Amino acid sequence: MRIAMIGWEYPPFKVGGLGTHCYYLTRSLANLGIEVDLYLPRMSGEGRRSDIKNLRIIEIGEPPLFPYETEKPLGGDVFESVDRYNTLCSERIDGDYDLIHCHDWLTARAGIRLKERLGIPLILTVHSTEYDRSANLCPNPWLLHLEKEAMEKADRIIAVSYYTRNMLVERYGIDGKKIRVVHNAVNPIGEGRKKEKIVLYLGRLAIQKGVEFFLRSAKKVLEKEDCRFVVAGSGEMLPSLIHLSISLGISDKVMFTGPLTEEEVKHIYRISSVYVLPSVSEPFGITALEAITAGTPVIVSKNSGVAEILRNCLTVDFWDVDEMANKIIALLRYDALRNTIKENAKKEARFFTWDRTARKTIEVYREVIER
Amino acid sequence: MNVCFYFEVHQPFRLNRFSVFNIGEEIEPFNAYFNHELNRTIFERAVRKCYLPTTELFLELSDDFGKDFKVSFSITGTFMEYCDLFAPQVLENFKELFRKGNADLIGETYFHSLCSLFEDLTEFREQVRMHINALMDRFGYRPKVFRNTEAIYDNRIAKEVEKLGFKGIITEGTEKVLAWRSPNYIYKAKDADIKVLMRNYRLSDDIAFRFSARDWVGFPLTADKFARWISGCEGEIVNIFMDFETFGEHQWPETGIFDFLRHLPGELLNLDNKLLTVSEVVERFEPVGEIDVPFAISWADSERDVSTWLGNDMQITCFNELKGLEKRIKEKGDEKLLRIWRLLQTSDHLYYLSTKGFADGDVHKYFNPYSTPYEGFINYMNIIQDLKQRI
Repeated sequence: MRIAMIGWEYPPFKVGGLGTHCYYLTRSLANLGIEVDLYLPRMSGEGRRSDIKNLRIIEIGEPPLFPYETEKPLGGDVFESVDRYNTLCSERIDGDYDLIHCHDWLTARAGIRLKERLGIPLILTVHSTEYDRSANLCPNPWLLHLEKEAMEKADRIIAVSYYTRNMLVERYGIDGKKIRVVHNAVNPIGEGRKKEKIVLYLGRLAIQKGVEFFLRSAKKVLEKEDCRFVVAGSGEMLPSLIHLSISLGISDKVMFTGPLTEEEVKHIYRISSVYVLPSVSEPFGITALEAITAGTPVIVSKNSGVAEILRNCLTVDFWDVDEMANKIIALLRYDALRNTIKENAKKEARFFTWDRTARKTIEVYREVIER
Repeated sequence: MNVCFYFEVHQPFRLNRFSVFNIGEEIEPFNAYFNHELNRTIFERAVRKCYLPTTELFLELSDDFGKDFKVSFSITGTFMEYCDLFAPQVLENFKELFRKGNADLIGETYFHSLCSLFEDLTEFREQVRMHINALMDRFGYRPKVFRNTEAIYDNRIAKEVEKLGFKGIITEGTEKVLAWRSPNYIYKAKDADIKVLMRNYRLSDDIAFRFSARDWVGFPLTADKFARWISGCEGEIVNIFMDFETFGEHQWPETGIFDFLRHLPGELLNLDNKLLTVSEVVERFEPVGEIDVPFAISWADSERDVSTWLGNDMQITCFNELKGLEKRIKEKGDEKLLRIWRLLQTSDHLYYLSTKGFADGDVHKYFNPYSTPYEGFINYMNIIQDLKQRI
């Protein structure tokens, strides 16, 4: 089986689940014997090459294009970059492929064109929708339209959770029969030593992520418990979040790290006592699984995909800052709770491997090829 | 064959949501800790679905078969309190069955407590006496046979129960204790002069768990089929023990459980079986051997030990915290706080914190007011911390 996958963000230039997913999925697919041509936007710096059999990485575009980073339009508007990349992909991708696999709106237009031009099936993976990204506040109608068109044209849609699947059915009116749920996975990080009480948020600082609720809950926790809060990552909300921590009077207990390297990310997961994923709307939430494999118990938003697969975690409504604080304090105070969740969650997370995700993805491929 | 039916009748006082921010607040603890509204709703539903229809059915069977129809009940103190508050008719039905000679009563801890697992058994003795007094008050009867919470049993408990004046004690007929021996006989406790009734768990669970299981070879279970199984048993006495809520709550009316129950005594008697109460069993049969149980067993889960309540660190932490309050709470002499402490001992609170795997976990989930055992722990532990601050 030979597939053309159109990617967008990819290590070392990645900001979210889509990049992680493409990296590990393509490697596992290749290991399972699928020939994968992964198309990526050409970045400044050295080109990226595949180091394994069956996987080819083909960079498209000149001059260099820039990935999706809304907080700093790296030399241009993200919409323009996406548009140019999709046009180039639509024109240049050619070959004897069994199917096209694209991801989110970012590569949707190329996916639709190539399906038409090459006459082969289209798979669309939905990692997030405009409703998620906008936290349901003023979604961009142009993006909604593009997403809907891609969902309608795709032969099969892979949703990263039932949470997302239901959104596609309810908000986009997509027939549930063509949606397959394939959950994300985690590459285990490994435990470290925890010395002080640290409560961690790690992720993009965007409205979708609910970091504001994390800080409001930190304020409540600090009334009862001495600990430190770390907000790791970057994003357009960084200035307003710093301002919020000052106005809440907790800036001495909250640390903003800015963007972290991969090693720093692992380190911060390992030394934290609690990880919180407070998202307003989170299609999956790979970070929760990452934290677990670093031996850190997690509190996740009920509006998340990861909440539906994980039993050994605590869940909260993102807006319920009192309950979030109650659960953070409980994890900090009660060793028995922390240890029991930690041990059970580690066992549970072992189940979610990228090979599993790849095998389930191949099942979806077979459905459209063997028709 | 002789058959002894015994039903456990119990409802716990379930807890309110209690956040860490509630700890130390100036609030009335009884109303703050316990969710009276939820408890009333659940109890009244159980009254409609199980307690009233089943006791009424038993009264009909009493009319049909007279004193050939015999059952035994263990009714907890908390259950009797629920009846006083919300369903006096249920208790009246039990009294009527008792008065007509169809029902025997069994002793246990008043609060369906795990205090038999405390190192010091003072609290256990006090709660057993409380329960005897409650039965004396309401039924004018002193029970002769004892059943500890969830049939938890070991040599030490048996000895203590003997000292409290009981002639018999009930526990699980598990192979862990019996090995090759049959549960269908009476045994003697090691180092104590008390007879032990062993539950026949296969036949009991055929009704309690498997009755409506379509993938079970015995399905559908009819009264005459079950009566034939009983008649075919080896031994002297078959003990069929289960939760009373089996009828109408765990097995819904649609499964045909009430029809089964209605016809069972007739079918059993037709085949020359005899129904006995627990007291009659203790009077009529002599032990055929001794059982030695150094480590506690119970009737719960596939492990048949106490891991259902003390199987993980969270459960052990809560249990130890609660146990650790005994001395201070009794010295303080505040009756209200003592009663709260005892209500918190009810085994259900720890049962909700069990993290056992899927096979057993499914059964647990059915009765659990919390979405996860972790939520249950936070709530229960916060309440224990609040109580601790009050003494």
